Amino acid sequence: MPPVILVVAEVAAGHLARLSTEAATFARDLAAEAGGSVLGVIVDSDPGVAAGELAAYLPRVVAVTAPSIATELPAPHILTEVRRLVDEGVTHVVLGASVDGRDVAGALVAFTGWGYLANADSAAWSGEAPVMTSNVLAGKAVVHSTLATAKGVLTVRPMSVTAAEAGAVGVVEARSASGEPAIPAVVVLDRVTEGGAAVSLEEARVVVTGGRGVGSIEGFAVVEDLADALGGVVGASRAAVDAGWIPYARQVGQTGRIVKPALYLSLGVSGAMQHRVGMQNSETIVAVNKDPDAPMAEVADLFVIGDLFEVAPALAAEIRSRRS
Amino acid sequence: MRILVLAKPVPDTAVAAERMGADMRVDRTAAPNVVNGNDEYALEAALQLVEAHGGEVAILTMAPANGVETMRKALAMGAMRGVLVTDEALAGADVPTTIRALAAAAKTEEFDLLLTGLFTSDGGGGAVAAGVAALLGLPMLSGAAHIDPDPAAGRVKVRRLTDNGYDLVEAPMPAVISGTQALGTPRYPSLKGIMAARSRSIRQLSLADLGPDIAPADGAWTSTVLGFDPPPARTAGRVVNLPADAAAREIADFLADRRII
Amino acid sequence: MSTSHAAFGSVRLTEDQVLLRDAVRVLADERVAPRAAAIDRDAAWPDDIRKLLADHDIFAIPFAEQYGGLGSDLLTLVLAIEQLSRACATTGLILAVQSLGAQPIVDAGTDAQKERWLPDLAAGRKLVAFALTEADAGSDPSGIRTRAERDGDEYVVRGSKRFISHGSVADLVVVFAVTNPDAAKPSRRLSAIVVETDRPGFSVARLEHKMGIKGSPTAELSFDGVRVPVSNRLGEEGEGFGIAMRTFERSRPGIAAQAVGIAQGALEVAARYAKERVQFGKPIADLQMVQAMLADMDAGVEAARHLLYSACQEIEAGTPEAARWAAIAKLVAGDTAMRVTTDAVQVLGGYGYIDDYPVERMMRDAKITQLYEGTQQIQRLIVARSLLSRS
Repeated sequence: MPPVILVVAEVAAGHLARLSTEAATFARDLAAEAGGSVLGVIVDSDPGVAAGELAAYLPRVVAVTAPSIATELPAPHILTEVRRLVDEGVTHVVLGASVDGRDVAGALVAFTGWGYLANADSAAWSGEAPVMTSNVLAGKAVVHSTLATAKGVLTVRPMSVTAAEAGAVGVVEARSASGEPAIPAVVVLDRVTEGGAAVSLEEARVVVTGGRGVGSIEGFAVVEDLADALGGVVGASRAAVDAGWIPYARQVGQTGRIVKPALYLSLGVSGAMQHRVGMQNSETIVAVNKDPDAPMAEVADLFVIGDLFEVAPALAAEIRSRRS
Repeated sequence: MRILVLAKPVPDTAVAAERMGADMRVDRTAAPNVVNGNDEYALEAALQLVEAHGGEVAILTMAPANGVETMRKALAMGAMRGVLVTDEALAGADVPTTIRALAAAAKTEEFDLLLTGLFTSDGGGGAVAAGVAALLGLPMLSGAAHIDPDPAAGRVKVRRLTDNGYDLVEAPMPAVISGTQALGTPRYPSLKGIMAARSRSIRQLSLADLGPDIAPADGAWTSTVLGFDPPPARTAGRVVNLPADAAAREIADFLADRRII
Repeated sequence: MSTSHAAFGSVRLTEDQVLLRDAVRVLADERVAPRAAAIDRDAAWPDDIRKLLADHDIFAIPFAEQYGGLGSDLLTLVLAIEQLSRACATTGLILAVQSLGAQPIVDAGTDAQKERWLPDLAAGRKLVAFALTEADAGSDPSGIRTRAERDGDEYVVRGSKRFISHGSVADLVVVFAVTNPDAAKPSRRLSAIVVETDRPGFSVARLEHKMGIKGSPTAELSFDGVRVPVSNRLGEEGEGFGIAMRTFERSRPGIAAQAVGIAQGALEVAARYAKERVQFGKPIADLQMVQAMLADMDAGVEAARHLLYSACQEIEAGTPEAARWAAIAKLVAGDTAMRVTTDAVQVLGGYGYIDDYPVERMMRDAKITQLYEGTQQIQRLIVARSLLSRS
């Protein structure tokens, strides 16, 4: 039986989430290898725009309008629609490994007993089942695993798959949400914005990260200035976040954000494994550190031994002067 | 308040203690194991909540028999009791089995909140909490940065981090909550905690204690590990050791070469 | 002609001792060690470290459970001081001095006095100092001049104490003062009296600038007609000297522990450095002269450690030779620490002399272990006296 692969896509600020373009590409490629079919589902209070965007990646998109999502967490409603589609013949469900994605995945696995492959960096179809590759143990090993059941759930790690449009625009089929969610709803009382980056860490082309070497909240001014000169956003290592110099939302690493920018420039970051997991796939990595033995040297394309408080301002000035 | 914390012993990534057995499973009997980092934050949050609201924290873990040692570490932080689900038949259990086993074990406890970390450092699946919540029919509040229960009203509010702030969500208790390091730095166990932990009770549950239909009847897991590889090596880069102005020019040239500026 | 001690086996730590030691080690490595260089450089009392030790029940180790302590034995206390000192000698001393200052209360206090003072000390809420030494009375306590004159139901304390560890941060000071100037035996002149430092007339006259343990405040204390109730006296009048000597039997192992810890820390830095430093095309650890030094250092630390642990067990078991055991442990440990830290600086060569590396600090810190709580010379007198009386 050829597989029917369903991509569960998410909506972020009214549009298709970037991770969902990656998951869609992943699923589409997998379905092609397996000789099966692929479709996507978006469940939202207003799915139209995102569904249209998803149609650039998939031949068929089911857009479910669930008004409750305006004031509730989406996972319970998404789960109901996914189960509906499973009843209609879906054999494999692919989700982005986001917080909501994992919630849906977990509940789905609980109810179906299907196998679960988590945090795929890539996958291929082999015989009757997908074989996925994932890095585990804080990046110390790469594991290959496969499903032993005919059906299963896979989550895709952010910033691992390069999203690519399909070439043809798919069909969007509109539906209404069907009945009560099978798992309890959670009410959203308020959505609070706290002045985050205009561009998110994951979307940024350039990320400039400050680490323990920055030394203080005030020290981050140097990091911000260099980010500004490069047109990038500021990130942080866990040491800087734990020290209270910068909010957790800026943290790059295993327990923070995974980023894959064109340029990752670190200042005073030692490069512990849990941090490298968050940025080691960046296209170009430049690191500035006083310590020539910093682990960051292992992944940096250019490792600069120096004091960040001297090098960063000098670099910012150099970049600005070249621009003019 | 009664808070149950789901904690998983994992190899201590800091000391590279992971060992792969010949059967392609992480050798979890190899010491030292530590409480999964994210679960420690959840445990810290739980301890702070009972300090504020009264009550006690219990730990629920599924692990080989040596899970007792890692549990003692959690007890030393201040949890009062432990429940250890351990059975040879559960070695290498897949995620659906783990979810069923933990849900069945959680049913033997009374709790207002079930807290856990967002994902584990050794497999990172992150779906177990949601799976357990689904089987228990409880609301799932994931990604918590701040937990604010109202025991009198029987409801809990949680701040879920978003890209540029947070959502304030609410659900009735009992509820399942997962969170990350934003919940607060885990305390070091005090010496009194360490001493007290030695005599706190750990109740052990075997597969038979959990009821029927937990592990697959034919003993076959739903997913298989085919093998492990070392991570892909990145080619070594250039090292620059120059005064700041010269270094800045080197970097700028390098970036220009790569068309970044 | 050996002594007739029954226990000659090796020391085996109990499970509790291992757990406690390891927990203190983690704390020392992760929270104390990063502060050590700054504590030395700033030469200021690290109250954040005091709070850290209090929060983690470290102060509770030597106190009985009924006072909020952990009720641990001497060896356990020594394990903790050793682990802390490995990271920072000043920090190890914080625990050692608290235990030293409290010991007279434990030894000679009434139940009411223990209830009154020990819980705060066990919790690390209050600090206690031990004030015996004076400008003219160091090794020779017969030179003590501080007087405590009885006036109704109070003592009036007048005088001055010198080189008092924690003297400027203590809430309580155990003062050894003359109450019986005409006593027949000189050792019956003194009483031990607890003076709360917020009493009028108490002041800190100066703080010393020292070679090492710079974060530990060493103070000259002035008692200018300080009035304390008679109920602050520990034991009977004239028992002060005996209380002090018995106290040293339990506190000298603490200093030995500090010495062993400092030496161990220095040894580890030297060994690691030797593996990394390449000269003449290979790590200097490959050179036999360096290996010989490191081996002698390791053997010295191990020997001092085992002697110390044995001493603790003997003292805890109530040996009549407690003074000898305490002295011999402190003697060997102090001399070992000085030798090992000096050699550690030598292994690091020029780098050992600059403060980029901690060994110069460790060498400066080690010296005090040969000087305080009885100089090495005093320890030798005690050991010799014990030996000669046995043979």
